[in-house]
Amino acid sequence: MSQQKYLCIQRSQGGQCEPPSPAQMEQMFAKFNAWKEKFKDNILDMGGKLEPSGAVVKSDSVIDGPFVEVKEIIGGYMLIQANNIEQAMQVVKESPGVAMPGSSVEIRPIAMP
Amino acid sequence: MSGKTLPDHFFRREYGKLIAVLSRRFGGYQIEAIEDAVQNALVKSIEQWTYQELPENPSAWLFTVAKNNLLNELRNQSSRTALIEQHSLEINQGSELNQNLEPSYFLSQEINDDLLNLLFVGCDKSLPLESQIVFTLRILCGFSIDEIAERLFISKQNTYKRLQRAKNKLRNTISANIELSFEEKTERLSTVVKVLYLMFTEGYFSSHADFTIRQELCEEALRLGEILANNKLGQKPEPYALLALINLHFARLPARQDHGGGLLLLEEQDRTKWRAEFVQTGLFWLSKSATGEKFTRYHAEAGIAAEYCLASSYSTIRWDKVVENYQLLERFNPSPLHFLNRIIATAEWKGAKHALAILEEFEAPTWLKSTYMWKAVLADLYLRSEQIAGQHIQAAIEAAPSERIRALLKKRLKVDNE
Repeated sequence: MSQQKYLCIQRSQGGQCEPPSPAQMEQMFAKFNAWKEKFKDNILDMGGKLEPSGAVVKSDSVIDGPFVEVKEIIGGYMLIQANNIEQAMQVVKESPGVAMPGSSVEIRPIAMP
Repeated sequence: MSGKTLPDHFFRREYGKLIAVLSRRFGGYQIEAIEDAVQNALVKSIEQWTYQELPENPSAWLFTVAKNNLLNELRNQSSRTALIEQHSLEINQGSELNQNLEPSYFLSQEINDDLLNLLFVGCDKSLPLESQIVFTLRILCGFSIDEIAERLFISKQNTYKRLQRAKNKLRNTISANIELSFEEKTERLSTVVKVLYLMFTEGYFSSHADFTIRQELCEEALRLGEILANNKLGQKPEPYALLALINLHFARLPARQDHGGGLLLLEEQDRTKWRAEFVQTGLFWLSKSATGEKFTRYHAEAGIAAEYCLASSYSTIRWDKVVENYQLLERFNPSPLHFLNRIIATAEWKGAKHALAILEEFEAPTWLKSTYMWKAVLADLYLRSEQIAGQHIQAAIEAAPSERIRALLKKRLKVDNE
C-alpha cells in the first residue's frame, strides 16, 4: 500500500530575533543533516523557505505582499510521506525547524482519491 | 541526497576568512558593514543549504553572497561611490550565484595571507592584550560575544568593550588600507605569538567544565599558529617553539581529567590516552625551533613538555632536564610560578628535603606566601620529607580557589575525603 502524503507548513513568529552565531549555525546545520538522513525515506520534497513577498489573488482583487505584518508568517513548506499521522508527527517533531522558539509546523494529509 | 559534507567548524572559520578577504579589499573602516554582510551571508547559506544540495564550492558561494550584501549596503551610503565603482566590475561578475567565482582564489595561499594580515592588524601593541585576544577570537575565529564571554570567564559587557576598542582602532588608524608592510608585521610577530599562546593557555588551563569548549580554544590557537608558521613571516624560532609547546601539551589534553571532569596528576595520567600524532608534530616543531639564535620562554616550556612526553613512564622522566628548563624559563620570564614548578621538579630529582631547603631560603614576598600554590608546594614537601605537615596541608586546602583544585590537592596531599 502506498503511503499517505502530507503537506507540512512551517510557521514562525515575525519580528527580529538575535541572529545565530557561526558556531550555533554549525550545530543547526549538523542537526538538520542528521534529521534529513534519519528520515530520508519519509521526506519527499524538502520544499523551501518562502519569501515574505508575493501576492494574494482573488477573483475581484489582488493583495500584494510582503505579509510581514501578519503575526505568524508561513516560513516554509515541505512534503513528506508516512504510514499514518502519528508517524508523520514523529518526523516533524524531530525536525530542527520545529525546535526554534515561536515556531510551529502544521501537518495536513493530502486527500487521495 | 548528496554525500557532500562541510569541513569541521566550517561556518566559524569561513567567518574569519570572509572578513579578512573583504576587509583587505574594502578597507578596515568598513569593518562593521563587513561583519553584517558576512553574518547575513551565513544565515542565507543555512536557509538555502538545508533545503537544497550544497553548492559546488561553498566558500565561493559565501564569498559572492557576502560581497553582494556589502555592495548593496555601501550603495546606500552615498559617499561610497568611488569604492563601488572600483568594484563594479566584480558586482556584475558576481551576480550569478553558483557560478564559480574566482575559484583559484579559494585554493590559493592568498586567503591565508589575508587571514594572517588581519591577525597582525589585531595584535597591535597599543591595544590592551585583552582586546587583542577578544578581537582575534571574534574576527578570526568567528566566536560570538556570548561565546567569548563564556570562554574567557568575563562579562558580556566587558567582552563587548574590549572588542569595540580594537575595532575603533582598526577604523581610525588604518583607514582604507589594512595591509601591513612586511617590516610592520615582523615587528609585531612576538605580539602575535603571545596572543596565540594566551589563547591556548586559556583553553588548556581553563577550569571550564566542558571539555569541548576548552579543546576548541586550543585548536584555534593551533590552527592560526600553523598558518603563521607556513608563511614566510612566521618561519622563525619563536612561532616554531610555540607550535612545539602547543602540540606537546595538546597531546596530553584528553588524559588530564578523569570521567567526572576532575583533574588528574601527571603521574596518574593514562599515557595511552596521549595522542602520539601530536607528540610527533610537537617534536618536529621543537627541532625546527632550535635552529635560530633566539631562545624564548616558549622554547623552555616546549622543552619541559617534551621531557614529559618522551619519558616512557613517570619514574623515567629526566628531572634534571626539567629543572634546567625551568631555570631557563625563570631567566626569560621571571615568575614565582616557574620558581615553584622548579622546586617541585627539584624534589623529584634530588629529593624533597633538598627542594625544601631551596624553598625556605627563598625570600618570598608576602603575597606569594599567601597563594594556594605556595602553600600546596610547602605542604607537599613537608609531607614527602616526612616532617610534620598537618598544619601546612590544612592551610593549602583552605586556600584552594575552586572545588576541582581542592579535590586535586587532597589527592596529592593524601587527605582522605570524609
